[in-house]
Amino acid sequence: MEILSYLNACGGHRLLTRIPPSFDMSVPSVHLASGFDFSNQIRNNFLAERGIPLPKATSTGTTIVGCLFKDGIVLGADTRATEGDIVADKNCEKIHYITENIRCCGAGTAADTEFTTAMISSNMELHALWTGRKPRVVTAMTMLKQTLFKYQGQIGAALVLGGVDSAGPHLFTIHPHGSTDKLPFVTMGSGSLAAMAVFESGWKPNMDRAEALQLVKDAIFAGIFNDLGSGSNVDACIITATSTEMLRNVEMPNQRAEKENKYEFKRGTTAWKKEEVRSLITSEQVTLIGVGDESMDTS
Amino acid sequence: MFLTRSEYDRGVNTFSPEGRLFQVEYAIEAIKLGSTTVGIRTPEGVVLGVEKRVQSPLLESSSIEKIMEIDTHLGCAMSGLVADARTMIDHARVTAQNHAFTYDEPIKVESVTQAVCDLALRFGESVHDEDAMMSRPFGVALLIAGIDELGPQLFHTDPSGTFMRYEAKAIGSGSEAAQSELQDKWHRQMTLKEAQILTLRVLKQVMEEKLDQHNVQLAQVTRDKGFQILEEANLKEVIDEM
Amino acid sequence: MFDVQSVAHQGPQSRQFNPYTENGGTILAIAGADFSVIAGDTRQSEGYSIQTRYAPKVFQLTDKAVLAVNGFSADGKMFVKKVKQRLEWYRHAHAKDMPIRSIARLIQTMLYSRRFFPYYVYNILGGIEDDGTGSVYSFDPVGSYEREACRAAGAAQSLVQPFLDNQVYYKNQTAGQDESFPTHLPLPSVLKLVVDAFTSATERHIEVGDGLEIYVVLKRDSTAIQSMEGVQEVTTSEEGQRVFYIRRELKKD
Repeated sequence: MEILSYLNACGGHRLLTRIPPSFDMSVPSVHLASGFDFSNQIRNNFLAERGIPLPKATSTGTTIVGCLFKDGIVLGADTRATEGDIVADKNCEKIHYITENIRCCGAGTAADTEFTTAMISSNMELHALWTGRKPRVVTAMTMLKQTLFKYQGQIGAALVLGGVDSAGPHLFTIHPHGSTDKLPFVTMGSGSLAAMAVFESGWKPNMDRAEALQLVKDAIFAGIFNDLGSGSNVDACIITATSTEMLRNVEMPNQRAEKENKYEFKRGTTAWKKEEVRSLITSEQVTLIGVGDESMDTS
Repeated sequence: MFLTRSEYDRGVNTFSPEGRLFQVEYAIEAIKLGSTTVGIRTPEGVVLGVEKRVQSPLLESSSIEKIMEIDTHLGCAMSGLVADARTMIDHARVTAQNHAFTYDEPIKVESVTQAVCDLALRFGESVHDEDAMMSRPFGVALLIAGIDELGPQLFHTDPSGTFMRYEAKAIGSGSEAAQSELQDKWHRQMTLKEAQILTLRVLKQVMEEKLDQHNVQLAQVTRDKGFQILEEANLKEVIDEM
Repeated sequence: MFDVQSVAHQGPQSRQFNPYTENGGTILAIAGADFSVIAGDTRQSEGYSIQTRYAPKVFQLTDKAVLAVNGFSADGKMFVKKVKQRLEWYRHAHAKDMPIRSIARLIQTMLYSRRFFPYYVYNILGGIEDDGTGSVYSFDPVGSYEREACRAAGAAQSLVQPFLDNQVYYKNQTAGQDESFPTHLPLPSVLKLVVDAFTSATERHIEVGDGLEIYVVLKRDSTAIQSMEGVQEVTTSEEGQRVFYIRRELKKD
């Protein structure tokens, strides 16, 4: 949502808001006047008048997070998939495989996240074989953002990408339009605010593995219990320089209570209009023609 | 009473120093000029009877209407200024219909009586500078008969807006004699037929003319058939039986 | 984002205030031979956010009537308040509790009086009729109503109503030879169905959960509720029918 309004309303000024303080700002662009630039909005209003409304950000019923710690990265995700207000899958997997040392959490349109990550996973494998090097997280990040940017936000994938490579641990978010962030702790999806609140209050540098995992669990819990788009179980993935541990359903705080009744139906409950019994055995008469040694000449 | 007439008998909303509202008292007096009306309650239903004063042989007696229907389960007989009663009964009818519309049930006899009495006190009532809706009290008393979940009931209302429930009640010019007759003859386990005959007997006693099916009217409210005014033929049968 | 330029350049603009919100949740009621069960979850939400985990949607009106409201919760609260006020006025005017069919009709007139600015509320009224039978009345937001044996409304209506149709009305079930389906279910069976309906709706609908409140209106001389656990009596007077309250937790995700 906010990504769109930045792009459309602020034009180049979006850069200013995103550049880290250390960046050299002594040479500003000569093309930009100071203050907000609304030139795109005039165009957008014109387009809207012609019946071409602004694209709408896909709401992402999910909580996904990533967190940097002493030895690497912990990724986390809930397991609820929704279709509108109906729960479509109570235990889906949102942490996708990219390479052995890189994983990617997906929020947004399920098909887009699954297909895009699978495609990038294949390309990462090919890239690794071609270069003969271990795959790097930035490579996956670059491939993902270029794909998403090419599709101008039409691919509704909001991703949290994490991994450890020769340059150390890396953690990124990638928005559907292709913009990326590199941060020590990140959240995405409809539960991102709930999860980020946990990170903001609990994250500290150089946490150990157990601390980091607990923090990720707590962040996902915050999404599960406070965001209706998120629910069911917690998946986590711990990536260090030496190992990748996929912790599927590491917490299951939402087991279904036992039903009061058994819902079994007696034989014959379903009515039928006609009954027809067919034999599935086909009997066939085989008459052999030309018996003996007239076999094919294979010599 | 009329000897003490003073300044205070003019305004409808002015008490006399003795604490009386003369106009209301005069209105009650007006009823005593009206024709005699009788109501009797029995376990089977309620009977209403009125005397129709046929002042001229040229008068169509059937055009004198002193018993009216409020709802299928409610009837009303009147004595006094009959024209005033029409306003009140119209109000009662609207109240009863409105209740049935809103609550999907027949209104209680007491509730409709209360609604009529609320109206009786509207004289002298005005909002700010507007003129009052009514200039004087109603000059009529009603006997409201009906059946609800509490059984058959008979209510009497007067111009002061007071109402009371009765087993048997007479109002109008002959009411004093009629009431004492009712007191003598009424008993708790009366049948509807007995009540019809008693009603006619009481009316006969106080009427100057000879009672026949043209100068009296009978009505009843029963559980099965609700409110009905007796047809002349039926009335004649009861008169003959008496 | 405020934009001076475009406002100045454009012609007249219309702004629309939307006075309604959809606050999720689900309610249901089932009538038995001499009882009525009215239930609702307690979650109140807006969009993907939970506003509160405990906002009652089921209200005891009298000792024979319980009303469940679902939709826009502000309208629901106000509507229940007004119904209660009308019941109090009726008690004063007519010296009795309003019969349930009269409450149903009253609710229709109250809803229809707002035909062109409706209460955005689906109502289900449950209780005991004057003849002692259990009853359920369901309403649309502008007052169309009907007496039925069971009804679900709200966010998970599309999940719960087919379940009730199958289990209460035996829809799509054919009875075996020398076998027939009962016209009324006993109270314990109904309570089980209600609990299962809500735990199941919680599983598959994101706006249902947190808590379940069940009210049982029981004919005074009925013995159906004796020896039942976790049941609290909330009857207010010695005459009239008896009312019971049951609370269950639901999943909170």
